[in-house]
Amino acid sequence: MSSQEIVFENVSRFYGDVLGVNHVDLRIRPGLTSIVGPNGAGKSTLMNLMCGLIFPDRGEIRVLGVSPRDTERLMRITGYATQFDAAPPWATGFEFVLSGLLLFGYSSALAERLAWAALERVGMTEAARRKVSSYSKGMRQRIRLAQAIAHEPQVLVLDEPLNGLDPVVRAETLALFRQLAAEGRHIVLSSHVLHEVDSISDCVVLLANGSVIAEGNIRDVREEIRERPSQFLLRCADPPRLAALLFERAPVAEARVLHEDGALLVLTRDRRAFSRVLTELAAGGITIESVVPADENVNAVYEYLIGGSA
Amino acid sequence: MAIYKRGYQRYDGPLAPHAARLGVLVRDAWRRATAPRLVTALLAASCLWPLLCAFFIYIANHAELWSGLDRNFASILSIDHQFMLTFMKVQAVFSVILAALAGPGLVSPDLANQALPLYFSRPISRLDYVLARLAALAGLLSLVTWAPGLLLFIMQASMAPPGWLAANWRLGAGLVAGFWLWILLVALAAVASSAWVRWRLIAGALVLGYFFVLSGIGAVVNGIFRVEWGDLINPIRAAYGVWCALLGAPMPQGLTLPMSLGALAMMGALLALIVERRLRPVEVVS
Repeated sequence: MSSQEIVFENVSRFYGDVLGVNHVDLRIRPGLTSIVGPNGAGKSTLMNLMCGLIFPDRGEIRVLGVSPRDTERLMRITGYATQFDAAPPWATGFEFVLSGLLLFGYSSALAERLAWAALERVGMTEAARRKVSSYSKGMRQRIRLAQAIAHEPQVLVLDEPLNGLDPVVRAETLALFRQLAAEGRHIVLSSHVLHEVDSISDCVVLLANGSVIAEGNIRDVREEIRERPSQFLLRCADPPRLAALLFERAPVAEARVLHEDGALLVLTRDRRAFSRVLTELAAGGITIESVVPADENVNAVYEYLIGGSA
Repeated sequence: MAIYKRGYQRYDGPLAPHAARLGVLVRDAWRRATAPRLVTALLAASCLWPLLCAFFIYIANHAELWSGLDRNFASILSIDHQFMLTFMKVQAVFSVILAALAGPGLVSPDLANQALPLYFSRPISRLDYVLARLAALAGLLSLVTWAPGLLLFIMQASMAPPGWLAANWRLGAGLVAGFWLWILLVALAAVASSAWVRWRLIAGALVLGYFFVLSGIGAVVNGIFRVEWGDLINPIRAAYGVWCALLGAPMPQGLTLPMSLGALAMMGALLALIVERRLRPVEVVS
């Protein structure tokens, strides 16, 4: 097994009668990986397995070559932030981050230095001496992130880290994730805000009912399900005429003139042939202002894969 | 260059050993346990009885102070197993109230905040977490149980005529051993209650209920059914039986040492089981 990957091999985990994950085969490489799925899909279970908080009933997991049962080694290379507002309200932000580092076994001086460095990274130095109870939801998210990255882990597991962040902080946090990923770390996060993760992720893992239903770059995932029709949103001067021409010449399954001016939504099973016909039409004098793939985001892929939006 | 080749440099130096990390947990638990002002007030109040006992020991060892009094008074002023048992009973009540005040703050908030995954994603185990809380509670309860008790014993030994210590060493050893057994039970009950419910107030009430209500139920069972096995669910009576045996006092009617020890072991196992079942890193909502 690669020591640079997080590897799940036929992993299953049940909580009594409740399904956690089932027969999961997965390889997560360095970079930013998003785990996406509806509630109860198994996202948190997958993350808890990665962090050694629970162990699989079947199968094997290796995190950069380390077994999750080797908790001493595993927890030095992983950082974890739960989806819950778990910071103690009676502690200051600094104390919260510091206590986590002391539990790792860092000396007081080093722990203080690392805590300040982490707080600076998440933009919480000014509020660090305030009690967590006085923090806004966004600040609490950031302090959780600070405690997760403070010991400089190689693998960062973040359960729904974008919840409750305002747009500005969200953008800053996403930039921080990209920066951490660019340093060569594994950043694994889950999110319900689907359009955000597909734009920042190197890899997306789609889960449903405890199983991985697709994995890879969003475009790659889309390619994997080629038998499903692709959607394109076209803008042109005369959508009904363009629709008629496309039906005549291209393998079009469906074309729908949208209410907005000049918009035409087309479904095709052959992207290449469709592109060729579009080029021919444009060369022949048909005005086509824009052609945008309408289904290369996670929501659309999800709709294809499980027949409903996540 | 592959992305993972552009690695950062993380700290690779020495880290504190496991015992030191456990110490961090214990200090944190101690801060939490002693944070309520009522705990401080109760600690102060719990000194009153030991001070009174110290005064009693002083009087008992200075015959000139009561030479003019009734001769029967001398028998009352005897520092023996009965004196130690009375001291232990009073301080045991203080220890239960103290545990009810301090104990719930140790686990309940972590459950309410769903903070357990944060602890267990550090290189500490569930056992470490529980041991730290038990240690903090044991430290706190020691202040009102065996520590003042041992001081009283030392005081008596230093004031008593030569030969008293050799003849009564069992009082000191029994007091310390008996209180440690009691501390373990009370601390376990406090941690189990705190792990059982998320609300501190109710967790505190559970601790009190465990000791005082169960004692009442045990006595009622014995009374109504004219049996003695009601003592098996009475933690105070079971512990008292063991104390009597340790101090060399006559066993209470209907109790034997194996019976008392068995009841305490059963209660301890049950409380430990509750802690084990409740303190999981991941909560599953089915």
